Amino acid sequence: MKTVLNLILSHQPAAAVSRMLTHWNQCVPNESILIAHGGSKEEFHAIQHEQKFFVEDPRLRTRDHQREFQSYTGLFQEAAKFLSAHGDQFRFVHFAEYDHLPLVPDLNERQIERLTAESADLLAFHVHRVDGTNNPHFLYHVADDKFMSYWSGISPRAEAEVVLSMFGSGSFWNREAFCAVCAVKEPFPIYMELYLPTLAHHLGFRLRDFGEQNRFVRVLKDESSHVDRARKEGAWTLHPVKRLWDK
Amino acid sequence: MIRKFIRAVGLKIAQTIGTHVKDFPSGRSLGRALIIPWRGKIHVIGLDVAVRHVAVRPMFQPQKRLTYWKQEIVFTEHPPPDFPNIRKTEPRSPSETTGN
Repeated sequence: MKTVLNLILSHQPAAAVSRMLTHWNQCVPNESILIAHGGSKEEFHAIQHEQKFFVEDPRLRTRDHQREFQSYTGLFQEAAKFLSAHGDQFRFVHFAEYDHLPLVPDLNERQIERLTAESADLLAFHVHRVDGTNNPHFLYHVADDKFMSYWSGISPRAEAEVVLSMFGSGSFWNREAFCAVCAVKEPFPIYMELYLPTLAHHLGFRLRDFGEQNRFVRVLKDESSHVDRARKEGAWTLHPVKRLWDK
Repeated sequence: MIRKFIRAVGLKIAQTIGTHVKDFPSGRSLGRALIIPWRGKIHVIGLDVAVRHVAVRPMFQPQKRLTYWKQEIVFTEHPPPDFPNIRKTEPRSPSETTGN
């Protein structure tokens, strides 16, 4: 039985996606991979992979992601439709951007084991509580009164003011949490690194951090030349690896 | 391009000569930043919020000795999120979410 749906977001040309899939197939079964393509329609049609969909949502295609409130809601909702169409084949969803490289052949097993050990519904990288802090994304959103009142309006939790942040390039969900988040209409534009973890939290789900794996998921410096080193140091995944699929 | 360069140089200076910022309860170093009072506000410049994901709250430090003439502002981090799943214990109203 296929257990984990590996949802991979890419905007790259079909040839690069093909090279990326060749690598991914060393880590997860090919039939567990669903490609979400945010590039051009022509390149999307040229991708040689059965399970794929084109992301129409313009809020995925931001340039200044934080200031334009980049959203994965449309993308996730398309993936939720895929889950629904495939019955109960998939119990978990692993989301990864194209530059978040898997490094171990038993990646999904490790993720399930960590999720279970943490009794969590969502695992992500660099999970922080940011309400009341200097976190720039929080400060940008909290300038709008709607932001905090939305969470207090939906939250069954005693601390309705909690705002969480996670790094957006990769996350691991149980199906219930993923589908519950997808079922909520985004009330107004909220940057996905705040929206997804905070919504999951206020829907009652438990979020935990990937802990020691955080150090292999960074923001800026390309890690394409450090893949072997990261694997030796115990990395399950590595980010950002942007040049590996170029040729 | 020039603005980016000037900003990068400014940040480098702030992170080199700025004061050490610590998480007050643990003493953990969070890097350096320039802390400048200006027009009734305190400006924090250069704290590494992007790469090191430093997210701190300012708070007045508790005082073991009562003084009326001085108080100290320190920085603290939230503890790592460790909230339970409450869906198994608290039923939710269907009106709380809107299907899409």
